[in-house]
Amino acid sequence: MKIDPETCTGCEACVPYCPVQAIQIKEGVAVIDDDECVECGVCFRSGACSVDSIQEVPLSWPRVIRAVLSNPLIESPDTRIPGRGTEEVKTNDVTGRIKPGFIGLALEMGRPGTGTSFRDVQKVTRALAGMGVEFEPQNPVTFWITDKKTGKIRDDILNEKSLSAIVECSFPLDKLKAVIKQVQAVAQQIDTVFSVTTCVKVAPDGSLPTDKIFKELGITPYPDSKNNVGLGRPLFQFEEVSS
Amino acid sequence: MTHTLHRRGTAENLRGDYALIMLRAMGINDDDYLPKVKEFLRIALRHNPVNIGSELKGCLYEFLPEEIIAGAKGDSHVVFDNSRALTGFLKEVKEADLGLSVVVSGIFESVDECLEQVGLKHHTGNFSLGIWGKTEKLPGDDILEVTTMCGHGLISTNLVKAVTKEIKTGTRTPEAAAKILAPNCTCGVFNPARAARLLAAMAAK
Repeated sequence: MKIDPETCTGCEACVPYCPVQAIQIKEGVAVIDDDECVECGVCFRSGACSVDSIQEVPLSWPRVIRAVLSNPLIESPDTRIPGRGTEEVKTNDVTGRIKPGFIGLALEMGRPGTGTSFRDVQKVTRALAGMGVEFEPQNPVTFWITDKKTGKIRDDILNEKSLSAIVECSFPLDKLKAVIKQVQAVAQQIDTVFSVTTCVKVAPDGSLPTDKIFKELGITPYPDSKNNVGLGRPLFQFEEVSS
Repeated sequence: MTHTLHRRGTAENLRGDYALIMLRAMGINDDDYLPKVKEFLRIALRHNPVNIGSELKGCLYEFLPEEIIAGAKGDSHVVFDNSRALTGFLKEVKEADLGLSVVVSGIFESVDECLEQVGLKHHTGNFSLGIWGKTEKLPGDDILEVTTMCGHGLISTNLVKAVTKEIKTGTRTPEAAAKILAPNCTCGVFNPARAARLLAAMAAK
């Protein structure tokens, strides 16, 4: 994003819209801090600028990853999904990607509202790789991990930032305690926050396989939830996998 | 991923917040899926949603409902502010048997009650373990309750503060303030009805 200094009136109307506080008034005009800007496009779309000074500019690699992860109106060329997301639980009724006995874990770096550097993302991917997890292949961040065994991320994006980036993986449920402890440790080593999501197949009796484990860990999940209600077709036949 | 999860709030105020998604699974049921997504949105309009939206298009606070439906290009979203509307909507969606995955976000127990009333069951669940890391960087919970209703983080803390100030000074109503925030959430998962209540409470402090 750029703000044209020739036409900007310095009215400050765009300033509060920026989710990462990257717009400041300097010498009477609004200026975007290129290092902090995550290319989410909020300022441009807001219509806050009455003189159309805010401009979208073409982005090249590696800066373009900021827009791919931060602007949900841009489709990832790798996953064909807009924003930084994946299908995860949302289509598990037809994909069967999270099977009974396994758990999906998503650490959404920079959410809510703090943004993340890829150096911090790498700290988390390295911590998880050490636990032998399987990174979700259809996640944009996974495409940029050059070594899945070490969690190393390609060097040319380490200085990039995004509004959020999801590190997503799955592993057998019996590893959950150890993985959570590793995640708790790496949480102390980063300069941002992450929102923690677990993804599990609900048992036919409606019970959750994680309840007992979380209780033992002293973790209480938040009251909100996101529930796939099994209306997708064709339904994935989990029994065939189990047998 | 998870953009309708992690909505901060109390169990009480989250009971007025239900976000739904209909989406296709790439490579499995993504042939000719758009008519199904559009029907999902049409059904929603019969149950008074507080927002609808479609990815790559926008939400109810940028476009007319028929514009969103006509321009739907992908996964689509609907938000209700009460469980009665959610239940009625789910009943009709189930009967329509559109064949795409449907995800319901909300308080687990409330969603559970609605599913039971229409004969649906939880298949797979996402659960939030909260926010970890350098949490001292976060704004207060009252701000987060508003900003986290956009799962992509596109509603800024400073904009919430600015509109709250306008409510305090009487230059904008809470409902009008919520409509300033809503278009920034392009997916249409922001709940302006709940936001107006939260903003009014913040302004009254």
